[in-house]
Amino acid sequence: MSKERNWGSPVSGSAKKIKNDIALIVALLALVLLATLALLLLRTEGDRVVVTLDGQLWGEFSLQEDRTVEIRNGDGYNRLVIKDGKAYVQEANCPDGICSAHRPIGYGGESIICLPNKVVVEIRSQNQGQPDIIS
Amino acid sequence: MKKQRLVSLLLLIGMIASSLSLLSCQGQKQKFVTHSLEYFDTATSITGYESTQEEFDRISGEILDLLGEYHRLYTIYHRYEGMENLCTVNELQDGVHRTVTVDQRIIDLLLYAKEMHGVTNGKLNVAMGSLLSIWHEYRTAGLDESRAAELPPKELLTEAAKHTDINNLIIDPEARTVWLADPAMTLDVGAIAKGYAVEMVARTLEEQGISGYVINVGGNVRTLGTKPDGQTWLAGIENPNPDAPQSYAVYLALAGESVVTSGSYQRFYTVNGKNYHHIIDEQTMMPAEGYLSVSVVCKNSAQGDALSTALFCMSPEEGLALVERLPDVEALWIFTDESQQVSSGFSHFVTRP
Repeated sequence: MSKERNWGSPVSGSAKKIKNDIALIVALLALVLLATLALLLLRTEGDRVVVTLDGQLWGEFSLQEDRTVEIRNGDGYNRLVIKDGKAYVQEANCPDGICSAHRPIGYGGESIICLPNKVVVEIRSQNQGQPDIIS
Repeated sequence: MKKQRLVSLLLLIGMIASSLSLLSCQGQKQKFVTHSLEYFDTATSITGYESTQEEFDRISGEILDLLGEYHRLYTIYHRYEGMENLCTVNELQDGVHRTVTVDQRIIDLLLYAKEMHGVTNGKLNVAMGSLLSIWHEYRTAGLDESRAAELPPKELLTEAAKHTDINNLIIDPEARTVWLADPAMTLDVGAIAKGYAVEMVARTLEEQGISGYVINVGGNVRTLGTKPDGQTWLAGIENPNPDAPQSYAVYLALAGESVVTSGSYQRFYTVNGKNYHHIIDEQTMMPAEGYLSVSVVCKNSAQGDALSTALFCMSPEEGLALVERLPDVEALWIFTDESQQVSSGFSHFVTRP
């Protein structure tokens, strides 16, 4: 056990070794930071499905990855499906059913809104040529 | 040793460079969007170009606060402690209370609504609350319990329709009072209040020199100037057929104008397999027939709101004649068979994405 390395202690290693360790740590930290930055930058490039519940951000998903999401808010229930680059509400327990009757959305700025359950599903995109506003 | 130092140095430079590039992106204005479901029983979205999220939050927060004030004044469904709004105006018409003193913004809205009653030959009538409240009640009940959904009885509607004369809405602008001279009459400003509120909020912001924003309250859209780079806003008019592959019936390029769409697909309930929407024609006392949607492009969002509802209750000929008579107003009618009619200058706004 006495032969085990004591990291950072000047007794067990030379100054050179410590410097090497510091350089390695700095390099790793830098790599992590760079990777995070790269991820952040890349994330804004793809189209995203943003879900807000009662005005608060509830979830954010890639439009390119198929998935089913259950959005629950008290008694409110909406099942969001993301499939083949489109998002739609497959099922909901709201009285008017406007959200589940809505066409699948996939273009930036498009949204499906469920007023009774206070759910907004919105597509965010960096692509040009998509409407800023919908009337 | 030296190599490692070089590597970490390079990595550090890389980090600093990428942070700088991020910062420089923020120097340019970027697009922000926020949503609210709080006002006018519909969805509000605010789009704006700002340098920072904080600045956008500040301005969109001010817009939402202002919309909230108008909402509380104009709602006929809620009363608020310590203030008179249109809900209390309706409730106080019991023959005992006569006039109600109200906020200047209520007087302004009602005066404008009376003016639009004249412009639209009576098709925009805020005094038909008695008729609309019956439909509202039956629609709400029908949505809650769809198997029990039914149409309002004709006798009930006929009785209510006797109390819709706008001349019984007595406004005293000097004293800031409102009086409904027919105690059985009630106000429903649903066809104009959203647009009026949006227009007033937009003007308040324009007075502060703010542009590069869009306020959208349930399809009632008002643009404030252009985007910061001078480009027009691209507005999509929703395709009223949800099964059609195209999301938008037409695209418009807007720079400070408003576009308002009234659609039979927006709010409806189903009785025996047939949809009954929310735009009621006073003449027939039934949901207006003939169109899937009517969109109006003009500068003033209040005018656009009032006109889109009124045009929905007019024949295409009568509506077209009205739009052509009004300066700087254009319209798009989409009929139930999905064919379209446009006013003479509408194509001026039409664009491609």
